[in-house]
Amino acid sequence: MNLFGVLEISGAGMSAERFRAEVVTSNMANAETTRTAEGGPYRRRLVRFRSERIALFPLQLASFHSSLRAPSGSVRVDAIITDPAAPLRRYQPGHPDADTQGYVAYPAINPVEEMTDLLSAARAYEMNASAVQASKQMITQSIDILR
Amino acid sequence: MPLIDTPMLRALGRFLDVNAFRETLVASNMANIDTPGYRTRDVNFQAELARAAGWESSGGDAAPPVARTLDGLVARPDGNNVSAEREGLLLAETQLRFHLGTELVRAQFRQLATAINEGK
Repeated sequence: MNLFGVLEISGAGMSAERFRAEVVTSNMANAETTRTAEGGPYRRRLVRFRSERIALFPLQLASFHSSLRAPSGSVRVDAIITDPAAPLRRYQPGHPDADTQGYVAYPAINPVEEMTDLLSAARAYEMNASAVQASKQMITQSIDILR
Repeated sequence: MPLIDTPMLRALGRFLDVNAFRETLVASNMANIDTPGYRTRDVNFQAELARAAGWESSGGDAAPPVARTLDGLVARPDGNNVSAEREGLLLAETQLRFHLGTELVRAQFRQLATAINEGK
């Protein structure tokens, strides 16, 4: 079995979680943004993950243990979804982006929700990192057989 | 044709194979903890070893370990049923088992070295 493939899976998990943390951070940074390139207030973004089957043993000889080349589940970012929730309207007549009735459209972002999302991404990242540590140790132990 | 082929080394090789395969599955479960609809995958450890023993006695080549989706875990509303605690424990367990396997393989070779060195 190829233990190096495990590192690839955990690496994919780490980069997916880091990407999610990035999107959440940009949501928090833009919580008060009323102007965007697309027009209107910033829209909250969400990431969707998809599990992906990858060939784990690309370097293994075809004749040797060819049946062990079982595909396994990696992960990748499938899509960035824009939250369809309607923007929040606040009465601020003096604001440059206020409409004719004096209301300003603000992004519908709940800071508590974003913080929990960020924490969950950080924890999932940590978990993948610990899987990397475990695989590294297993590889080291296999090498130790040669000593 | 392997240079040194003993039943013990074969069994240990299989033991390490199943453990490494399980490690792969634990890592993919962990990587997919936020994937909607993902189901936890695992191997039936005892059955895989027993199956290998059966193949061993009939002289055939060992079949690859089979991954199966695990039921009976609490699923979240998005259909994902990965449990961080379960995977964490299994990761530690697999690591220790693998360590045991590698140490046993080393012991086999040390025995051989002892014989070669006439017990010196």
